Amino acid sequence: MRYSKLTPYLFILPMLIGLLVFRLIPIGASFGISFTSWNVFSPPRWIGLENYRTLLQSPVFWEVARNTVVFALVFVPLVMGLGLALALLVNQKLRGSTFFRGVFFMPYITSIVAVALAWKWILSTRFGLLNNALIEWFGVWSPPSWLGDPAYALFAVAFVLAWQSAGFQMLLFLAGLQNIDESLTEAAMIDGATRSQVFRHITLPLLSPITFFVLVISLIASSQTFEVTYALTGGGPQRASTTLAFYIYQNAFVHFQMGFASALAYMLLLFVGGLTLVNFLARRRWVHYG
Amino acid sequence: MAEPAVVIDPVRDAEQARRRKRAISALRSGVIYALLAVFSFLTLFPFLWMVITSFKLPGDVFRIPPTFTPTLLFSDTPFANYAEVLFKFDFLRYAGNSLFVASIAATGQLVTCSLAGFAFARMRFPLKNLLFGLLIFTLLIPIEVTIIPEFLLMVRLGWLDTYLPLIVPSLMVGAFGTFLLTEFFKTVPASLEEAATIDGASPFAIYRHIFLPLSTPALASLFVVAFITNWNELLRPVLYISDRNLRTLPLGLTTLQGQYESSWTLLMAGSIISILPMILVYIAAQKYIIRGFMSSGIK
Repeated sequence: MRYSKLTPYLFILPMLIGLLVFRLIPIGASFGISFTSWNVFSPPRWIGLENYRTLLQSPVFWEVARNTVVFALVFVPLVMGLGLALALLVNQKLRGSTFFRGVFFMPYITSIVAVALAWKWILSTRFGLLNNALIEWFGVWSPPSWLGDPAYALFAVAFVLAWQSAGFQMLLFLAGLQNIDESLTEAAMIDGATRSQVFRHITLPLLSPITFFVLVISLIASSQTFEVTYALTGGGPQRASTTLAFYIYQNAFVHFQMGFASALAYMLLLFVGGLTLVNFLARRRWVHYG
Repeated sequence: MAEPAVVIDPVRDAEQARRRKRAISALRSGVIYALLAVFSFLTLFPFLWMVITSFKLPGDVFRIPPTFTPTLLFSDTPFANYAEVLFKFDFLRYAGNSLFVASIAATGQLVTCSLAGFAFARMRFPLKNLLFGLLIFTLLIPIEVTIIPEFLLMVRLGWLDTYLPLIVPSLMVGAFGTFLLTEFFKTVPASLEEAATIDGASPFAIYRHIFLPLSTPALASLFVVAFITNWNELLRPVLYISDRNLRTLPLGLTTLQGQYESSWTLLMAGSIISILPMILVYIAAQKYIIRGFMSSGIK
């Protein structure tokens, strides 16, 4: 193909403008804003590291940070475990597996607000299905208020998000499973390996690059959780289900503290970046590239 | 006298072994089907409960123990909850807004991503790898990091309470879409391109008349993925839209929730209205959607 030096740039121009204006410049700008006190209505005031000092000394920040970690510790294993289990189930050569695949993926394409509302109704304390089932069938005397009790709210949010997105992890694992050369597992079976041995010593190691990838994107998804919290608990009761991403939203767009919220956003970036880095460093220990 | 039990009969033994093997594999499929059924139930039940609740009389919702009868279906006005949500609470308009925003954003993404993907896949130019790397890198950045400057930019541009902030950012940075189409365009045989070049075709003509028609499946996948993502988007409508006439479905639904917190019949009817179009699209184009989302994850 013959083209002038300029032509490729013309092709990428719209995307390049978008990349600059909506990604790269904002990433830098929010770093700058994090050193200011700015409520949008009056001009920003440079305050140096004050926002970072304030947040590190604030018990609320540490509570929210702890919530973010707990949320990730619950959500990531849950969604990955579910995703892998579903992938293994629909990867069997059984009639109807395409149908089940379609069923399990469905929640992922539906509006999280709508499914969060359905769960809110199922989990509601007095008239909710879950608590009434617990009372009727399992003889639980006074089942908890799942969304109204600080002890449960964060877990409920993590569960609903895992329920909604497990179908996506399933697809990724499924793609990985389908890439595994069947002759390897068949050969092991002929040599007398049991199914669980094949799974532990062949399937899991061969799947590990995908598992690694799913881990990275699940952590990122976990750290930017906003919609499900907004629709399910609004971060409450008190701050029990407020994670860092939601706390950023509240500070920026409810209290209009753009500087403080930007400092929080950089803490979030540090958290995600740190975890991703640890992931990449630890990769050599357990990820096998065939 | 010989004991009949020790008579070796290889045919019978093989038959028994085969039967046992078949029994084990039948048992195994049985267990797998049982697990599939349990997970399907857990997946589908919230949707079923949504449907049932949306067809109940408001008073029937607060019964202990809960009932599974869609009472409204047996009345003169089976769709009363839907009618109320659609017309009294303007969900018909919200659905139109969502449709408008999602179609424009998804169509726009096809244009920007395919143009960029063509250059990344088929041309050589300085900074190519750096730019492509930066694009992929931004996929790892949480939206919360970029949304504050984006909001301030929208304020400055005077775009609050217009559809523009819902459409433009999503339309212009389809990092995943660019990636998907770059990979797809790389698989197109070079011979096609060479033949067209000899005939004097310009790069744009090659892109327009050879690459686009060849990549209909990839474009379809990208379109549905982008459409669904935009249809379900909540954060940007929450930030940028306060005019009730411009609300999208997810925003309308959260607003309704704020106003009528325990009107579960209305909330569930509203939820069904927001998810039904996507489920229909999903059933019609499942192949493209699954392929699209699958490649959104695979390197």
